[in-house]
Amino acid sequence: MLEYLAIIISAILVNNIVFAQFLGICPFIGVSKNLDSALGMGMAVTFVMAVSTAVTWVLQHYVLEPLGLGYIQTIAFILVIAVLVQMLEIIMKKSSPGLYAALGVFLPLITTNCAVLGVAIIVAQKNFAFLHSIIYAVATALGFAMALAIFAGIRMQLDLVDVPRPMRGVPIALITAGILAMAFMGFSGL
Amino acid sequence: MKSSLKNMLLSLTGITILAGTILAIVNISTEKPIAEGAERTRNEAIAAILPPFDKIERSTATDSDGDTLTIYIATLEGSNTGVAVETFSNDGFGGYISIIAGFDKDGSVCGYRILQHAETPGLGANMDKWFMADDTPHNIIGSNGPLAVKADGGDIDAITGATITSRAFLQAINRARSAAMNIR
Amino acid sequence: MTALQTIKDGLIRRNPTFVLILGMCPTLGTTSSALTGMSMGLATLAVLICSNMVISAIKNIVPDQVRIPVFIVVIASFVTVLQMVMQAWLPALYSALGIFIPLIVVNCILLGRAEAFASKNNVLLSACDGIGIGAGFTLALTAIGAVRELLGTGAVFGFRIYDSSFGALLFILAPGAFIVLGFLIALFNYIRHA
Repeated sequence: MLEYLAIIISAILVNNIVFAQFLGICPFIGVSKNLDSALGMGMAVTFVMAVSTAVTWVLQHYVLEPLGLGYIQTIAFILVIAVLVQMLEIIMKKSSPGLYAALGVFLPLITTNCAVLGVAIIVAQKNFAFLHSIIYAVATALGFAMALAIFAGIRMQLDLVDVPRPMRGVPIALITAGILAMAFMGFSGL
Repeated sequence: MKSSLKNMLLSLTGITILAGTILAIVNISTEKPIAEGAERTRNEAIAAILPPFDKIERSTATDSDGDTLTIYIATLEGSNTGVAVETFSNDGFGGYISIIAGFDKDGSVCGYRILQHAETPGLGANMDKWFMADDTPHNIIGSNGPLAVKADGGDIDAITGATITSRAFLQAINRARSAAMNIR
Repeated sequence: MTALQTIKDGLIRRNPTFVLILGMCPTLGTTSSALTGMSMGLATLAVLICSNMVISAIKNIVPDQVRIPVFIVVIASFVTVLQMVMQAWLPALYSALGIFIPLIVVNCILLGRAEAFASKNNVLLSACDGIGIGAGFTLALTAIGAVRELLGTGAVFGFRIYDSSFGALLFILAPGAFIVLGFLIALFNYIRHA
């Protein structure tokens, strides 16, 4: 139990996917303009990351490795993620329109969210057990959602501030992210 | 082009088969260089951290924690000159650290190379030179016996600002030594 | 639109890093030194030229609805080829860039150029677009890497400019990546609009 707690804390705080591993930066910059869409994106990513990690884990351990096809890992994983996202979109649209309305717009963006493919590859490289992989994926996604939410909160405040012209928009956002990353470094060594 | 079920299936299947074939060919032609490269890197590391030898033999040994480590026993004209141990620690700042360490026939450290790590660049990552810097209180070359950082009552200076990495490094070296002693 | 103009556009007016703000993950993750930044840029450049040309060549035989999956397969194939080639002949570089090599697949620059340019233009122009955008990306990554390496360790490409004890380690670490990129984009904006 304690071991899993360590994984969770490490993935959310110490090795935060955005601030320490530089994955999922595009949506982090792109979808953090207000808190609502940040939370929606965070939830969608958590969902997709958990499901895709489960599927790619099975694919890696029961198909690619036994057949000696490790070298098509990248192509196989990205296709699985693309198909999965598409399927989720269709299922969600049919079965729960409420959820679709909330998360639907974010789904197509997730295919090219490198955090999703990144976690699938990290899990395969480090050879985690199944349960370990799922916990790692969910915790990492929660870390992403948290980073996104904090950042969105700060950016909403930033909109009200008089920033020098060339710094407006992305530059000031990146510098803010840098300061946040500094804060997150305080967690290292936990 | 207009989409129909037939041409959609056809083009997707076609491109997948084509991609698969190309990848299989490239894989076959790069397999040998990749294996050779990995072997060469390892041999270079072994040669750098051991006294002169003319023959190397791969084997395994059990360390003090009961883990099985890969070792390379070096001999010169039939007599044992040293042993290289592929060792590790899970307690680095960035988790897993893999090191290959060389010991002479008395069990003294004669060198090491870092194989894999995720330590902080500029801090913990300096361990590749730190513990073999000449004439410093953190040189472990020639040491014989368990090592510990000063904070833990030992006599090795930890890397500035990276005590956790230093601890993990020394833990890996101690583990390697125990395995090296176990084979004799 | 001429070939030369297309290349120039990619370098400056449509610079993927400073103007389009695409492919941020490798931009931040692999620029702890000028050399790794440049290597990552060149790796992406190679894949981008190949994928742009192939996608442009097959654009007329691919049905619209499966366009994106086909593009992804093409890009992923080239990335995998690159992965294997680098592992075989440049193993040190391969391990330095780590997970960011397979992640070229999800670099938005590649799919973005496939969709916005290669699927609408001929093979030659698509190749030029690949060269321009790829070179723009490489230049940007090299610049960020050089600034971070200089501020962090006092060296550029390993050549010492001042003593490393004056270096601020922060710039090699994660926060430095964000901060340097932020200021460089601001600088690029300032010059472009001045």
